[in-house]
Amino acid sequence: GVLAHLEMLEAQAHEAAVKEEETEQQEEKLASLKARVQELRLQRDELRAKVDLQQKEQLGKGGVTSDLAQPSARAVLEWKIKSLKDMLQVFYLTGISGKLTKRGVCFCISTAYEGTYLDSYYLDLLAKPEVQIHRHSIPIFIPLEQIAKKYLQTDIRRFLFVLSDHLNAYVGRRYQADQLQERFSHQIEGTLQRNSLCNLLVFNYNVSCQNKTFPFNVRLLYGDLCCSLPTEVIISCTPDTPASLAEMAPAHSDLFRRTALHKAFRSFSSAEES
Amino acid sequence: MDEAVAEYIRRTVLKIPRDEIKTMLEKWGFLSETQLQTINFHQIKDNISQDVVQLCEENSADIKQAAVLDIIYNNIYPNKRVWSVYQMNKTEEDTELFDLTDFKKKFKRRLRSALKNVTINFREYEDNAIWIRIAWGTPYTKPNQYKSSYVVYHSQTPYVFISASVLKSNLPLLCQALVVASNYHDICEMDLRSHSLNSLKDIVFKRYSQNFQTYYPRPVQEKNVAPASADLRIVQENRNEKERIQRVNREVFGDGPQPKLEFAQYKLETMFKSDPKMDVLDKKEPFRCLVKFSSPHLLESLKSLALAGMADAPLSPLLTCIPQKARNYFKIREKKGLFPGSFVSP
Repeated sequence: GVLAHLEMLEAQAHEAAVKEEETEQQEEKLASLKARVQELRLQRDELRAKVDLQQKEQLGKGGVTSDLAQPSARAVLEWKIKSLKDMLQVFYLTGISGKLTKRGVCFCISTAYEGTYLDSYYLDLLAKPEVQIHRHSIPIFIPLEQIAKKYLQTDIRRFLFVLSDHLNAYVGRRYQADQLQERFSHQIEGTLQRNSLCNLLVFNYNVSCQNKTFPFNVRLLYGDLCCSLPTEVIISCTPDTPASLAEMAPAHSDLFRRTALHKAFRSFSSAEES
Repeated sequence: MDEAVAEYIRRTVLKIPRDEIKTMLEKWGFLSETQLQTINFHQIKDNISQDVVQLCEENSADIKQAAVLDIIYNNIYPNKRVWSVYQMNKTEEDTELFDLTDFKKKFKRRLRSALKNVTINFREYEDNAIWIRIAWGTPYTKPNQYKSSYVVYHSQTPYVFISASVLKSNLPLLCQALVVASNYHDICEMDLRSHSLNSLKDIVFKRYSQNFQTYYPRPVQEKNVAPASADLRIVQENRNEKERIQRVNREVFGDGPQPKLEFAQYKLETMFKSDPKMDVLDKKEPFRCLVKFSSPHLLESLKSLALAGMADAPLSPLLTCIPQKARNYFKIREKKGLFPGSFVSP
């Protein structure tokens, strides 16, 4: 009957949730393993270079000694510095790096959006008497206390990943809004209404049909703070908009939900050109 | 156009430095390009302001538009006012979807329900700052435009920056309206005050340079740089000490510029400690004392104290904790317990 059906749905939902969690954990694992692989590769290169150097030295000593074959101490030092810098760069590129301090650890969360590196944020943690945040440079509108209350004491890695998700999503949303204002300002009517978290954007943009332009008003709600795509899109148009244009609204709405804002607008302009 | 409005516009223009008047009028956007071109901006300010008033008369300016010019002026010269920081609290932890239109509507509704005679203006800026200008009246008098209050609020943050006017009685009403409009529960004043609005923002938003230890490659400052004209007859006796002081200073203050505060005030309620034989005070009462440090730029001067040899490094944490604790007004009481000392009240 109905109850049996409900029970079945409940069980399905539960299963789906468990699976989702599993995949999430697997992804996290994968990301950290990839970083480790990079680390190890760098180490391997270092060691290989060392071996080569030693071999060259041997050759240099055994054969005809020429100043060119034996690298100077200065060259060795320079090479060491360079490989160290490369190693640090790898840590920086993985997004979360840390350094042990006298009283705990200092983490640096670097953010990026679709290949562009954006801001870095810092967290200075104390280890005793319990893990606590000593200082930080996280923007005030990111719900740091909430995330810390949930995960800081129990699972630091989860805490860092969740915080990193929030920060990356925030800079992603901000980047899209900035790109929209910078590159597609001619298509926007009036001002773009935004807020600090960039999780609510309201603006009017022009849609043209037979050399006449009509404004569409769009309201983008980003309900998930860890996501840089909107969860809800509401498009409305003026009453005098022709039906053929008004019919495009659901398609636009779908596009905004799936693609980055500036990319959506780029496709509008290319569609108009064609 | 109202006489009062004309006078207000005239006085506002007079406040602006002559070289900036044109740009500010352009930002205002109330007078057209052609109108602005008719003004000679090289004459004395008195005449410029008269010309501006004349043109505003042609456009029939009202008090709301005049108020916008005032906001623009205060936004460009915020350091002429003293700003206090207020902190709002809330218990719910749901995702904040700050809607600007909603905020403005709620704020105006709340204020107007309590006081009919108010002029309220909003202006939003690129950095998500919302500027609110409020001119207060009474149930029987029109708003006094010359003693308006300013509020600066960044959405989805718990901090509000208020430059109240002399009419402090309207402050509770203002605070209430802010709390309601931004969906918080209550608001209280922090012990943080300064002329520099941006520095206050830097402190509470943690935008000032804190020295975080990281591996991220930063330009390393070379230590043992030989000075350009090394006079071998001059020997640096205290080189190690100097380097230690520089290092300690760097750890405490960071590398970048400090937020600009003009004073730090410490209200002492501690016991006077003297030689028991001298017995200066009969009663064991706290010795009330107020210590105030003033400077055009307090934190920079504290930073240079040790380097100039005027204080020991590291400096007292009571001085260095100012940006991190986000306060420059302190109350110091006796620490109750085994170890008489002093502790800073939260």
